[in-house]
Amino acid sequence: MTAYVLRRVLQFVPTLLGVVLLVFFLFNLVGGDPAYLLAGKISNPEQIENIRRQLGTDQPYHVQFWIFLKQIATCDFGVSWATNEKVSAIFATRLGPSLTLLVPMLLISTVLSMAAAMLVAYLRGSLTDRAIMIACTVGQSISILAYIIVFQYVLAYQLGWFPVQGWGHGFTENLLRYSALPVLVGVVVTLAPDIRLYRSFFLEEIGQDYVRTARAKGMGEARTMGVHVLRNAAIPILTNVMIQLPGLLAGAFLVERFFSIPGIGREVILAVERSDFPLIKAVTVYVAIATMVVNLATDLLYKALDPRVQLK
Amino acid sequence: MSAVSQDGVVLGVRDLAVDFRVDRSAMAPAVRGISFDIPADCTVALVGESGSGKSVTALAILGLLPANASVRPGAAISYLGRDLLSMPGRELQALRGKGISMVFQEPMSSLNPVFTVGFQLCEVLTAHLGLSSSAARDRAIELLQEVGIPEPGAKIDAYPFQLSGGQQQRAMIAMAIACEPQLLIADEPTTALDVTVQKQILELLAALQKKRRMSMLFITHDLAVVGEIADAIVVMRDGQIREQGTARDIFESPRDPYTKALLACRPQLASRPIRLPVISDFLDREPARPEDVPQRSRGVKGDEEIILEARHLSKSFYSREGWFGQREFKAVRNASFSLPRGKTLGLVGESGSGKSTLGLLLVRLHEATGGEVWFEGRNLFATPRNALLEVKRRIQIVFQNPYASLNPRFTAGQILVEPMRIHGIGAGERERRRLACELLERVGLPAAGFFKYPHEFSGGQRQRIAIARCLTMKPDVLICDESVSALDVSIQAQLLNLLQELQDEYRMSYLFISHDLAVVKYMADQVLVMSEGEIVEAAGSDEIYSSPRHPYTKKLLGSMPRGWTHGAGPAA
Amino acid sequence: MMPGAMTAGGSAAGRSPGLWSMAWQRFCGDRVGLASGVVVALYFVLALAAGLGWVAADWSRETGVSYAAPGFGASPGGAVVPGTVQAGAGAADDSGIQDPLAADLAELRQGLASLPAAAPRSATLPLGGDKWGRDVLQKTIKGMQTSVLVGLAAAFLAAFIGTLFGAQAGYFGGRTDAFFNWLYSVFTSIPYLLLILAIAAVLNQKGTATVVLILGLTGWTGIFRLVRAEYMKHKVREYVQAADAIGASDLSRMYRHILPNVSHVVLVQLSLHVVLFIKSEVILSFLGFGVGVETVSWGSMINEAQSELLNGRWWQLAAATTAMAVLVTAFSLLTDALRDALDPRLG
Repeated sequence: MTAYVLRRVLQFVPTLLGVVLLVFFLFNLVGGDPAYLLAGKISNPEQIENIRRQLGTDQPYHVQFWIFLKQIATCDFGVSWATNEKVSAIFATRLGPSLTLLVPMLLISTVLSMAAAMLVAYLRGSLTDRAIMIACTVGQSISILAYIIVFQYVLAYQLGWFPVQGWGHGFTENLLRYSALPVLVGVVVTLAPDIRLYRSFFLEEIGQDYVRTARAKGMGEARTMGVHVLRNAAIPILTNVMIQLPGLLAGAFLVERFFSIPGIGREVILAVERSDFPLIKAVTVYVAIATMVVNLATDLLYKALDPRVQLK
Repeated sequence: MSAVSQDGVVLGVRDLAVDFRVDRSAMAPAVRGISFDIPADCTVALVGESGSGKSVTALAILGLLPANASVRPGAAISYLGRDLLSMPGRELQALRGKGISMVFQEPMSSLNPVFTVGFQLCEVLTAHLGLSSSAARDRAIELLQEVGIPEPGAKIDAYPFQLSGGQQQRAMIAMAIACEPQLLIADEPTTALDVTVQKQILELLAALQKKRRMSMLFITHDLAVVGEIADAIVVMRDGQIREQGTARDIFESPRDPYTKALLACRPQLASRPIRLPVISDFLDREPARPEDVPQRSRGVKGDEEIILEARHLSKSFYSREGWFGQREFKAVRNASFSLPRGKTLGLVGESGSGKSTLGLLLVRLHEATGGEVWFEGRNLFATPRNALLEVKRRIQIVFQNPYASLNPRFTAGQILVEPMRIHGIGAGERERRRLACELLERVGLPAAGFFKYPHEFSGGQRQRIAIARCLTMKPDVLICDESVSALDVSIQAQLLNLLQELQDEYRMSYLFISHDLAVVKYMADQVLVMSEGEIVEAAGSDEIYSSPRHPYTKKLLGSMPRGWTHGAGPAA
Repeated sequence: MMPGAMTAGGSAAGRSPGLWSMAWQRFCGDRVGLASGVVVALYFVLALAAGLGWVAADWSRETGVSYAAPGFGASPGGAVVPGTVQAGAGAADDSGIQDPLAADLAELRQGLASLPAAAPRSATLPLGGDKWGRDVLQKTIKGMQTSVLVGLAAAFLAAFIGTLFGAQAGYFGGRTDAFFNWLYSVFTSIPYLLLILAIAAVLNQKGTATVVLILGLTGWTGIFRLVRAEYMKHKVREYVQAADAIGASDLSRMYRHILPNVSHVVLVQLSLHVVLFIKSEVILSFLGFGVGVETVSWGSMINEAQSELLNGRWWQLAAATTAMAVLVTAFSLLTDALRDALDPRLG
């Protein structure tokens, strides 16, 4: 076990190196000279030279790469080009709101979609199953943008059930007042594809021989589905949830942007709009590390859930 | 007519017919109106080849038919006087596992992989007998003890994958007998197991049946397995009962030609006819009596030309373990043998013995870790790549699974033409097509099959195509890796006859790999016995069966199903 | 031997159905799948027609009044006269000061005059009008052309890369596999949308081709993983071993034997990715990282519609969203039907 974890952590190194190379390639080679972007349209060569010196982009590539590696090793990506705020400080303050939003969203949507998926898988082939499946197909075909815009307009702007946007200071206030509508939108959007996916996981298990055995032993449908099938289907479902985690952190940007929630996703969008390279670089590297750690945690969870899995 | 009286009947099946829905408009019959009884304290065997409807019958009894199957009205299944087909769902559910229980073919997939054996066993005890969890656990340990699982106190907390195949099936049996059922249905319970394990499981089931005085419905495709344990036998084919009667009647004086054929077309240890009888022999006319059939003599004189020789062949697989270590698994250890031209070398062993790996080494589908293979005076492993293609052509292989060994997107014609094109056989496409059609006819398929895809052929026909594919290259050595094992006995006999004819015609040498001792005895001149990667015994085919020397060979031979042993039956 | 050689065998007529034609028959028996296939085909034809300039070629013409309401009733030449509403058309200044741009303006005016824009603007349009009075129906069609083009092109690019890499990695294993796996883990370590945004930030250059490249070059990982797994599975199947035994080369085994047997997986993935990329393009264009300003896209339409909705002008949002939902629903149902029809689990 320890040997396994250590070996996996060692395997992070080449992957991380690949990510760093990719990011470096994108930003320092493809991205062109950031000095022009920063200096704006009206600038003279002197100013540009100045900015270059400050950024270190006048150095040869290998020196720049070395600087980048040092930044990663020390977790110090300097300051944002746009706001001059320290990059690390930006992340520290934006993580809280993101999590306040994502954790309830993930919990609610996972529980709901698992329950719904189990139901439709049990009723497979029936009218209910087909109706729900078609509803899910249509539901996931509507753009997430439309959900956000319509929900915000109708539920918040017209009916006034929720604040249109914003973020408060207290945790409870944020969780119950400001997160409510974004969480609702997030759950509605993820429900349809999740039900479809989890239904297929359940169907896969329902077709297995051990289900027939459980019935032959005289187990009722509730026990067959709720114990035998659920326990097996939970393995791919929970792994799937885990794997989504790092992507969600940055992927919730649409919701965060529309509802003006100061989370990491919104920060990423702002950074992209302002060509704030240090911030994008940092978030890419951080999220890549988070992804690798989560992947390892997923494998360990997998081992815990499925006795057949042996970590090698 | 039913072989037993109406009194003391545990289960009576009357006019059972089951249809499967194929698509919106079509139904396909699986069982077409069968009736039989299972008397108390008695073992009834339901025997039939694949597609005969025997397993569907078992599932219909328990009410476990899949959703696309339906029982035709007019059928009745009475269990101790109550009709199971009209019984409310809850009552039937309470009966399953308590009054009637079932053991399935694949123990590994039939057990829930993520729960311990104890959990799955206690579940039955608490649900049906209302035992407390500690009482259920104690009882579960007793049951595991009873079915012969070693260290039941420890194994109760094991997951299914931690048990061997035989132990898994024992655990399934423990679950099935946990609530003292009146009727145990065993659906091919030993088919997935090795012959030595099969014997143990059969003995266990027979002993449990006697001890608990329950009835057993034993479903199998193998008549030989049935002879030792069945009191009555029902023979099914295409959803209908061909014949039913006591075991003695069926084995000693079968009346139905199909039953006669089933008994005759399986190779026997005692005789070796030039040609095995096949079903059509029996259906068309009365076949020759076994004593009158000309016999073939097997063996080598020692002066034959050796075409292929393996010297100290070995193969290891490596898997990662621990920190940076590797674990070595020796699949083949130091195997040496020689194959004379025109003769058959049999290779028997149980699953995991390395016999298939050995075959794959010879055709270079696996790289050997050590040793040499000499083919016509040339060391294959030292042959340069460019010369290898010619050698490859001359050593060919026929695999086990007829459904996997043909590319499903190629027609039979494309499958046969491809090797000829690779090796430049035939003057042109036209010539190759003509050769392909000839070969199709040679292996007993119509030339019109040239344009058909594999899925339009039956398993036996596909295996014929696979053989024809090898013949296109005129090989000197043909490796048959369990080539007939996946087929029903009647089809098996036809293919064995074909292989024998082809050997006589083309003077090919065969390496015949099989787990089936009777088939190897029929086909082989010499036999190698493999166990755990090693060849433990090598001898002439008649010798090894009459006087085995190695203990493992003795054990293997001792585990063979004996068939009917209560009288002077056809199997000695 | 003969890599990529086409199918061998006879040319006689009356051949029996292969797996593909059987799949096609199964597909034809699936009414939902067939209907969605027709819808998707209609979209494609419309997109092609728009691409060739047969329809919606003058989507940018301002044919209606600003925010013209949806409907057919009002006759052209009604109450509204061009130029009175639109500030953009207010070139009619007659001050005596010499305008430095006079020449340009004159030219512009001439151009305007030559246009049929002199025709009166209508108060209603079939699906309403946008801020500049452009026809939402034509914009929606033109936007669909963009979406379909981006979705298809990016999906083909991703499927090509994914299949090529997956086949190499799965078939050869060992070091080749290790290399492609490393590449895979690098690309999947960065969440998909973040990677897209990062590339968009760097390229800083809008355009349809850029969007296709971004989506295609980042979206191959899922297909790679599946194709690689399929190749690993098929490589040890007996029919491939048999091909090895008869002397077929690696290339022949990879592309002549295995590829047709895994192509159904690629086809279903291709179809899934078209949907995924259409959705992604809409989001990218909405955020302003997508297609250029001179190209209309459902994403940019939704972006405009966001503020329109506050004034109760819902039609642009409804048009773009509905058009997209219908296409994506039909495509998803088609994918499901394809998957069912291509299911190779035959007897």
